[in-house]
Amino acid sequence: MNESIIRVENLNYQYPGRTAYALENVTLEINGGEFIAIIGQNGSGKTTLIKHFNGLLKPTSGKVFIHGEETSQKKTAELAKFIGYVFQNPDHQIFAETIRDEITFGPKNLGFSKERIEGEIECVLKEMELDVALDEMPFQLSRGQRQRLAVASVLAMEPSILIIDEPTTGQDWKESMLLMNLVQNLNEKGHTCIVTTHNMNLVSLFARRVIVMKSGGVILDGNTQDVFRQENELLTAGIKPPDVYLLAKMLLPNLQLEKPLTPDGLAELINNQMKLDLL
Amino acid sequence: MSIITLENINFLYKDSKKPALRNISFQINQGEFIGIIGPTGAGKSTLCWTINGVIPQIMEGKLTGRVEVKGLPSNKTPVAKLAQIIGIVQQDAEAQLLMTDIEKEIVFPLENLSLPREEIHRRLEYVLSLVKLHDERHRHPFYLSGGQKQRVAVAAALAMEPEILILDEATSELDPVGAEEIHDLAGRLKREGKTIIMVEHNIDELAKHADRIIVMNMGEIVRDGVAHEILTDVSFLQSLGIYPPQVTQTAFHLRELGSMIDLLPLNLEEAVDFITASKKAK
Repeated sequence: MNESIIRVENLNYQYPGRTAYALENVTLEINGGEFIAIIGQNGSGKTTLIKHFNGLLKPTSGKVFIHGEETSQKKTAELAKFIGYVFQNPDHQIFAETIRDEITFGPKNLGFSKERIEGEIECVLKEMELDVALDEMPFQLSRGQRQRLAVASVLAMEPSILIIDEPTTGQDWKESMLLMNLVQNLNEKGHTCIVTTHNMNLVSLFARRVIVMKSGGVILDGNTQDVFRQENELLTAGIKPPDVYLLAKMLLPNLQLEKPLTPDGLAELINNQMKLDLL
Repeated sequence: MSIITLENINFLYKDSKKPALRNISFQINQGEFIGIIGPTGAGKSTLCWTINGVIPQIMEGKLTGRVEVKGLPSNKTPVAKLAQIIGIVQQDAEAQLLMTDIEKEIVFPLENLSLPREEIHRRLEYVLSLVKLHDERHRHPFYLSGGQKQRVAVAAALAMEPEILILDEATSELDPVGAEEIHDLAGRLKREGKTIIMVEHNIDELAKHADRIIVMNMGEIVRDGVAHEILTDVSFLQSLGIYPPQVTQTAFHLRELGSMIDLLPLNLEEAVDFITASKKAK
């Protein structure tokens, strides 16, 4: 699963009636099976970019290819077969009268069998710890539960590319972890996962590649640990790296990192250095 | 001096069987910076609404106990009157914004107070500069990003010059630097003598300015004490599903690996000091 699944070439986008470009000259390639976080300030173009991946927006100029096919030639509904998209505000997405209808709508439209759909519902609700009656109305749920319902209904379609716009709003840490663990499970099965978020601790724990946006352009793109060490560039984009990176820089400035840093990981690195009397 | 007093508060939302607040009692002194943390559904927002009178005056339910703000009973004092003492910014900023441009959003409540024109102008310019929205002042809130909307809501609350400011997950949609700016602004307001109550999931930011932390779970206060002590209690926070500050976790693991770290750090500077000192102790 290493072939390019999304290819963006010189993408420019201008919202109707606005003079400024929301995206300027974006070029990037995403391979099958990647786990990517797109980060950047409010208004930097993250949401505008990912809306090009499922065809909700079409380029003003430049090209976007999904599985080798240009999105400008495709209907959003055709792209939905392999791209699952979860909106930042779950209420922009939830439409059904019951929780059951909300989750089964997508899979039904994709022609999944009844047995498969029943199996999916049970599995997804359980993993999301959504202890709810299927005949309840979605709007009786809390914001955090509605967010997880929105993710559940997209996961039920098992899309080959999953895009989530800010999964953590209105969720506490435990709920965010539930959600991200599910996304990770899907990623481990080979699905491509793309997440935009302001929560750098989550990025550090889950993403293997980070794309940093600023004023409609990409300013950094690389392995999570490499991007988070570029403190000054990040700051110009409104991002502070997780504290473990700053602490590592102060205590172990010459450290080579092979994977993203976690508090446990850093503690072990410091401990090893202390044993060697290097710190 | 106590500015807010809650005594034996219990609250049950209309049509609900499970109490949203149970036996809540505490006092807040003028000038304190209080962080309220806990899982979703713990009752944090409900608690804020009992303080500013929205519960029981606007949201219905069964409230027992006593809430007083500057000696005024919150359940009977008109919400509009309490709003001159307590400003509140909520998580869903969108639901709070009513007007067609940012400037009107800030000015409208001030006009309702019949303040002189110059005073309204002074406050408008001041709060716009605090939240850095000078250039956006004539934009319709609808076209703002989630983060900008939250900053408008903060500006509108500050324009009333309240003595107490409640920020209920007011930074949830802000990028890291934007969130830091609101926290630093809250810290500055505290130094100017205001009382700050902040409901927050972002523990790393909260750790910078809060003096005292109230931890809620399932409608109850499970801890109330000095910020440094509670926010460095790694096992306790994790047991509630709260992610402790990363530097605290790092030192906690180092200690488990055998390092002599007595007091756990809460911020980067402390972490460097404490970890380097533990090395010397070896």
